[in-house]
Amino acid sequence: MRYKTAVIPILIFIIIIYFLYSGLNKDPTLIPSPLVGKSVPEFSSTTLLDNEIITDKSLIGKPYILNVWGSWCYGCSIEHEYLIDIYNKSTINIYGLNYKDNRIDAIEWLKEKGNPYKKIIFDNTGSIAIDFGVYGAPETFLVDKNGIILHKYVGPIDNTYYKNLLLPEIEK
Amino acid sequence: MITEFGNFFLSISATLSLCMFSIIFLKKTVDVDLRYILCKNLSFIVLFFVFLSFSFLVYAFLTNDFSLRYVANNSNISLESFYKFSAVWGAHEGSILLWVFILSLWSACIPLFSGKIPKRILIDMISIMGILLLFFLVFILFSSNPFDRIFPIPINGRDLNPLLQDPGLIIHPPLLYIGYVGTSVPFVFAVAVLIDGHIETTWISWLRKWVISSWVFLTIGISLGSWWAYHELGWGGWWFWDPVENASFMPWLAITALLHSLIVSEKRGIFISWSILLSILTFSLSLLGTFLVRSGILVSVHAFANDPERGLYILIFLTLIIGSSLVLYFSRSSKLIFYKKYSISSKEFILLINNLFLTITTFAILLGTLYPLITSSLDIGKISVGAPYFNFIFSALMLPVVFLMAPAVYSNWSKTNYNSLSKKLGKFLFYSLMIAYICMNFFFKSEIFIVYLGVSLALFTIISSGAKIFQVFGSTFEKNYFKKIILIPSSIIANSLAHIGIGVLIIGVTISTYYSSQKEIIMVKGTEVIIQDTKVKFIDVKGKLSSNYTSQVGIFDAYKNDKYVISFFPEKRTYNIQKNIMTEAAIDSSLTRDIYIALGEKINDDSWVVRIYYKPFIQLLWYGVGLMILGGFFGIFSRNKYIDKITNNEI
Repeated sequence: MRYKTAVIPILIFIIIIYFLYSGLNKDPTLIPSPLVGKSVPEFSSTTLLDNEIITDKSLIGKPYILNVWGSWCYGCSIEHEYLIDIYNKSTINIYGLNYKDNRIDAIEWLKEKGNPYKKIIFDNTGSIAIDFGVYGAPETFLVDKNGIILHKYVGPIDNTYYKNLLLPEIEK
Repeated sequence: MITEFGNFFLSISATLSLCMFSIIFLKKTVDVDLRYILCKNLSFIVLFFVFLSFSFLVYAFLTNDFSLRYVANNSNISLESFYKFSAVWGAHEGSILLWVFILSLWSACIPLFSGKIPKRILIDMISIMGILLLFFLVFILFSSNPFDRIFPIPINGRDLNPLLQDPGLIIHPPLLYIGYVGTSVPFVFAVAVLIDGHIETTWISWLRKWVISSWVFLTIGISLGSWWAYHELGWGGWWFWDPVENASFMPWLAITALLHSLIVSEKRGIFISWSILLSILTFSLSLLGTFLVRSGILVSVHAFANDPERGLYILIFLTLIIGSSLVLYFSRSSKLIFYKKYSISSKEFILLINNLFLTITTFAILLGTLYPLITSSLDIGKISVGAPYFNFIFSALMLPVVFLMAPAVYSNWSKTNYNSLSKKLGKFLFYSLMIAYICMNFFFKSEIFIVYLGVSLALFTIISSGAKIFQVFGSTFEKNYFKKIILIPSSIIANSLAHIGIGVLIIGVTISTYYSSQKEIIMVKGTEVIIQDTKVKFIDVKGKLSSNYTSQVGIFDAYKNDKYVISFFPEKRTYNIQKNIMTEAAIDSSLTRDIYIALGEKINDDSWVVRIYYKPFIQLLWYGVGLMILGGFFGIFSRNKYIDKITNNEI
């Protein structure tokens, strides 16, 4: 009888350890988005640097990365070197979504840190980001050649993003 | 060069900790006195070497030795020197060294304040401390070494995270860790007692002091963190149910339960096996907290670098150490179960209910914290539970705990006369309901049921705990008033103060939660806004330069009844190196209300987003915590054992 009750803590402990262990190999920053598997939401805006018209249609044709950033965003300055790294290592196009920023600051920021982006969508009101379901910058979407979102990454990307998430998709 | 010694001393400490642990296996071959001397001196020497290597890290920070990767990442030449000092524990590697330093401090304290504990138990306790130390030292040496070099040596460092550049955060981590790591003492005691299979009540009263000490430091540490969040984050909140806040709060709840169950174990010789289990639980939750913060499996503002490898190492250790102690508990605990009869109206029973609710609350918070992990590993999507879950479940489960405080203090061991108890407490309850009703109508001209309930319960606790002191004061036969005060047993003062503190805290929390007003508006220079009884005028925003940041300082004047009261200077700082922006809210505090102004984004030269909060009675929160801590100190230094005995038998 006594033995039976003393075994309860052990059982609870095993269950908790199981969940902790299973959580260890999952990245909490990989948030499933309802948009995954669907096409990129429609938008139409201008580009940051040249003030050209850019829409969701103009990106279709090749797989690409869409990176949400802003010059005010601390995480973006951390991840920027990795974006440049991807730009150097890979042929995949990187597009930027400049989020709730002002043009002068954003251009200044790119001059200082380098520009890995092919084109940058200017979204100073944040309305395009809302359609993309952006929680906060930085966020990074991977989109295939038909404009279907493959996955979404929340927070600053690093080496593991390239190795574990991007490369397997490119190889496919 | 000097930092190489830091590394070297860490390795020595690790080796010596292994020696400390191995003494547990010498039981049959070496004489007990010799083993004790060995253990004792080893614990001192380990403390000495860990202290040395910690000092070398401090030295490296103070002398801007950017050849160390850790220093280069977390400091900067222009950083003020007290922040250089606190930057030592500003990130993962240094804070885990601080953790080990405090662990070695606690383990050296065991032989220093050994009380009446027999040597054979002390030896086991210190040896188990040895394995804990060994684990963390190996962890530092192989995966989190703050003495790692970097080449080429940077000219300047990347600066301390600006969030941590706050006076509150200089002392928050060390104090929190003292409490957090202090839970290792009841743990090693529990394991030693399980190995020995024998326990005496004098040991439990000895243990209670240790538990109170670590409770006090945990309370100080958690409240400092909360105080910091209130002042620094600029959201006007003080508790966010963030996974890491929960990680420090769960051990606090468990150790509070332990504190109460130990009283029963000491006075009545029952609940011993339960107290032992709670000791193991408390330390497990501390280790779990360490794991959650450092493995990056949950998203949190506090999380250190996300590193599953480090997480795996801590998880393996946690599994080994807690798993084996639970198996030990499974096989030995039946020896520690004693039966004594007690009625349903006894102090034992009320404390049992208190323990039950505190433990359930702990597990409810654990469930909420791990919920995203559970759902994602069961593949039902990633769902996290937020503040509404925690607020509801916590207040619902705490209601009976708070209500039972007064009956617990006034009831007797084994059997209480139910009629006289309910008569006395009924009176107190009636008073508190009346006072709460009158006060709320006076201050707010309305009553929200839940606030009324909270305030009445809190007043019930305050009145009955206060009356208890007077009752004891009146019951001594001494004529001299000064001597009468001295004669009040400090254990009574301790529990009354702590309970009054809880009451005061509850009043602060409920009222400030339900009666706060806030305005988040765009203000143009020269305009005014009225919040509650105060008029706030936005005067100007000026630039300010400091050694490592530039800031925008807002100037606001407050008027009450058209008379000038005070000016506010909230800041928005941009730190030069990491380029991030910090808000420094300006707060005017008084007993009845805090006015809290934070500067938001700039719209144009003349207008800014401004957040203004009016929080009635939030100061009571900090006063309540202060009283609890004061009560805790009385508990640590209570020495009047003889008088304690008399009054406890008498009342």
